[in-house]
Amino acid sequence: MDAIDYHALLPEIILAVTVLATLLVDLFTSRKSFAAITAMIGMFASFVAILTLAFCDNLTFCTSTGDRVLFGGSFVVDGYAIVLQGLFIFAGFIVVLMSVGYLETDRYYEGEFYFLIVSAVLGAAVMASSRDFISMIVALEIVSGSGFLLAGWRKGDARSNEASLKFFIIGVLALALLLFGVSLIYGLTGTQVFSEIAAASSSVEDIALFNLGAIFVLLGFGFKVSAVPFHFWTPDVYEGSPPPVTAWLSVGSKGAGFVGLLSVCYLALPSVTEIWGPVLWLVAALSMTIGNIVAIKQTNVIRLLGYSSIAQAGFMLAPFGAAAATGADLSQTFSATVTYLVIYAVMNLGAFAVVIIVGTRVGSYELERWSGLNTWAPGLALSLAAFFMSLAGIPPLAGWFAKFVMFSATIGVGSWWGYSIAIVAALNAVIALVYYLKVLKSAFFDTVPADLDVATLEAGTVPGPTSFAIGLTAAAVLVLGIFPGLAANLGDFSSDFLATLGL
Amino acid sequence: MTVTISEFFKESANWAFLAIAVPTLFAGWRTVTSNNIVRAVLYLVVSLGGTAGLFFMLGAEFVGWTVVLVYIGAVIILFLIGIMITRAPLGQEADLSHAMNVKAPAALLSTVVFGVITWAMIDAFGNNMIPPFEPTATSDLSLLLFDRFVIPFEVVSFVLLAALIGGIAIARQDEEVVS
Repeated sequence: MDAIDYHALLPEIILAVTVLATLLVDLFTSRKSFAAITAMIGMFASFVAILTLAFCDNLTFCTSTGDRVLFGGSFVVDGYAIVLQGLFIFAGFIVVLMSVGYLETDRYYEGEFYFLIVSAVLGAAVMASSRDFISMIVALEIVSGSGFLLAGWRKGDARSNEASLKFFIIGVLALALLLFGVSLIYGLTGTQVFSEIAAASSSVEDIALFNLGAIFVLLGFGFKVSAVPFHFWTPDVYEGSPPPVTAWLSVGSKGAGFVGLLSVCYLALPSVTEIWGPVLWLVAALSMTIGNIVAIKQTNVIRLLGYSSIAQAGFMLAPFGAAAATGADLSQTFSATVTYLVIYAVMNLGAFAVVIIVGTRVGSYELERWSGLNTWAPGLALSLAAFFMSLAGIPPLAGWFAKFVMFSATIGVGSWWGYSIAIVAALNAVIALVYYLKVLKSAFFDTVPADLDVATLEAGTVPGPTSFAIGLTAAAVLVLGIFPGLAANLGDFSSDFLATLGL
Repeated sequence: MTVTISEFFKESANWAFLAIAVPTLFAGWRTVTSNNIVRAVLYLVVSLGGTAGLFFMLGAEFVGWTVVLVYIGAVIILFLIGIMITRAPLGQEADLSHAMNVKAPAALLSTVVFGVITWAMIDAFGNNMIPPFEPTATSDLSLLLFDRFVIPFEVVSFVLLAALIGGIAIARQDEEVVS
């Protein structure tokens, strides 16, 4: 066995140490915020480690160049892994920031909460580097397992219990489908390493059982990314969970599902796009349409964001559908999904941070209670507007560029697979405007409900960590929207490996 | 080539297969249909035992013993303990059945999925004879665990740690203020 490249594993090692350190700090200190600080320092250190890997060529102490392949190809650190790991750590960091203020509002276990968030980040980071089914699924289990537990963190609340149980049962079902599909693929190709499956896939693609296995795997991840028709758990779980957990589920957990889809489709099955392309075309079209249409009717902001995240998952799946076209440029569709995921993560986290603050202050997430937000908290109303308009895709906020790369990738394949999904997406982008603007209309133009005391509302303060989270994500949304090249670079950096496949 | 029924019954291994498979199937059926939760669990023991037996017949000793130790030995016992310490209707004929309008679509869906998978299996493998192979020695498996598969091996311990700590936090009874 070769010596282990510890530099390549450094982000994961730091995260693993952080997981344990968070527990120990919580055990031996009395102030609960120490656990949160430990978690944040650890995630920051891990992020720095990722930067050293990303810019390895320019650093003097860094000797290795190019992609790092460990453990016989089952663990790879390349552009794709680095971008997604960075994204997960960023998401975990923001979620901890917005949790600090929130958890103090009620009786919660705090140390264990941060412990589970960092564990989930560790799992998601390992997933991004995993290049075989076993590593990937085991890592996915940390993400899902901590999600089930965190969803039930409001122990006294029946809806939180329901969210936890529902999420658990659906998650286990999804895992069972996924594992069954993996076992069929393994049985037919004799390997569970993605690169070897890619080499063997063209010889078995005519066998119905192989198609069935691939579809089972897609279904399993379909549940994780909450795409229609596997979405029905999403609104209930999002509404019942503590809101910072919902923010993590809609970004981290969903992102982990997308990592699974990206890896399986583009790393394990890139030569058989005719198997997964049409399936995901249909799923993308359904997710966008149903997610958006149901979102219009929502009166609860968290549920609205839940359906919005279903629709956004549809936009991220659209490039997969376009890849069904023969001769499609896979690196372009791949890069579009990654770029969209990065931008979506930033704006959705920001939206949740604002929504949590307003919801806690008003004491309700019902939209009618939020009317007149502008009169008592103009700053919050403005940031709410920024994030929601970014989600709707209005320039100069980052969301427009996410939609732009998605359209250019789908139209760019030059076939009806791409044109048709682009038309569906265009119609949906218009429908989505309706409900995002509905929230803003209520916040800016309606009068404050009579029973709410404006003076008390005005006196409320935003906890420091949360305002930092809002500031960070708002800055990112603005910078990525005005200098979209930054996001595009991330997408291209992540899809470099596809050029080497020569497809 | 296809095997006729009389040829099938001439092979003594097929009798052993039937002796294991038929009770396994029956127990699986009763696990789902039984109205008594403790009986359902005990039927599950029989069903899993049969599955382990099938693995032994295939020469996959390690997998067979894993099923016996992990599922029958640990998971089922956990089920029973879980039933005992909660307020589940122990030993009574509880109303575990769903209404017919739930049962019928579920049964239809299961039948369709079963049909599709069976058809695809027969289509893919048909009467292929699996070439004789040397079963992997258990010692080789354990070597792989600390070399090629060390990442998932380490990650599993974090899955268990997260589940343990989170499970305690969720299940713990806390009337007093938590701080």
